[in-house]
Amino acid sequence: MSSITVEISDLKVSANPDDMIITYALGSCIAVIVHDPVRKVGGMIHYMLPLSEIAPEKATEKPAMFADTGIPELFRSMYGMGCDKKNLVVKVAGGGALYDDKGLFNIGKRNYTVLRKMFWKAGVMISSEDVGGAKSRTARLWVGTGRCTIACQGEEVEL
Amino acid sequence: MNATRDILAHVQRLPAFPASAARLAELLHDERAGAPEVEKVIRPDPTLTASLLRMAASAYFSPRSRPETVRQAVALLGVKRTFEIATGAALASMLPARLPGYEMEARSFWLHCVAVGVFSERLAKETRSQSPDLLFTSGLLHDVGKLVISAFVQKEAPSILLKARHGMDFSAAEREVLGVDHAEVGAQVAKLWRLPEAVATAARWHHRPAEAPAGENRTLVDLVHAADALAISLGLGCDAGELARNVDPQAFTRLGLHVRRLEHVAGEGLQAVKELAAALGEVREAK
Repeated sequence: MSSITVEISDLKVSANPDDMIITYALGSCIAVIVHDPVRKVGGMIHYMLPLSEIAPEKATEKPAMFADTGIPELFRSMYGMGCDKKNLVVKVAGGGALYDDKGLFNIGKRNYTVLRKMFWKAGVMISSEDVGGAKSRTARLWVGTGRCTIACQGEEVEL
Repeated sequence: MNATRDILAHVQRLPAFPASAARLAELLHDERAGAPEVEKVIRPDPTLTASLLRMAASAYFSPRSRPETVRQAVALLGVKRTFEIATGAALASMLPARLPGYEMEARSFWLHCVAVGVFSERLAKETRSQSPDLLFTSGLLHDVGKLVISAFVQKEAPSILLKARHGMDFSAAEREVLGVDHAEVGAQVAKLWRLPEAVATAARWHHRPAEAPAGENRTLVDLVHAADALAISLGLGCDAGELARNVDPQAFTRLGLHVRRLEHVAGEGLQAVKELAAALGEVREAK
């Protein structure tokens, strides 16, 4: 088994059933984890910010930095590998927050809100999710089986 | 508390700060010191020379031209910037492979230090506040106390983590359990290494800007606090405390920061953080 690491502001797709895709330290960032059990293709994005309008040049260089440019790119990459939208299993993790009563640092919440809006418009269902809290998460996806886990606070659980 | 005494005694046992970097710190206070004096300190130290040139070649420090000699680098960057790079290289050379109490590899700790250095400067630009002296170094070294306190945090990890996961700020949990936190220890380390006052101030108050006495450099403390919160939130150098950190809303009000400005700084600054972390990482691995 080889592991493919998704860095912050990056996305990876694989059709090798022996691959495991992993991303570390999801704080307020969000991972969208997509799997096609029919084609045995997996993909993951680790985006940092909700909207590309905040830094349009960066969005051209690194679309995976933002939800609005990165998520469509992830789905396009999956379709490019022959996946069918109706077969995709979509999971979401991250969107954490500091201890911040006044919501100054609500980047995580904003990341999540934009994602929900986009999925609602595109008719994408989330099959399971683990979001929010003062947590830093590590997400793993096994391409061959679609198994997905989240590790945080010293425990790893199935998503 | 015995633990507090033990921890503070451990500060004294830290290895000395590299002599050439310490000498540069002294030159900062000497108004007569200029490029030739700085050059004289750097040239006999091959490691520092190599790190200075490696760092000075990064787009972050030299966006226009790449200096190829120490003389060019010092002329281009100035005495202060040269010192800032030298302290970065010195710190990089002293990092252990792992900080067990924080469940953190050196690479991750380093990424966090660099992120706070870069974000502090970017936030100052974003808020158009005058950039306080030695802001980059103060951001880079804000967590230096973790080098000392890590082993003690490890021993008490279950109690500290329990508090942190139930809503307490991680450094407050350190204070409750150990009697002292990494911030205070960091200020002691900065003193021991005879680093400029700004470094000790930022280290001491970065989790509690509201408690800094009126005479302290408020803008510096606020900027490092905000930069640290942003780096932690984005997962740039995550540790065992995860996101269990308090945010001081007054620091953000004083700086005029809101979430969109934070996002702008994150978006524009990420590449510089990655680039500098890699450059200084090479310095570290070359040791």
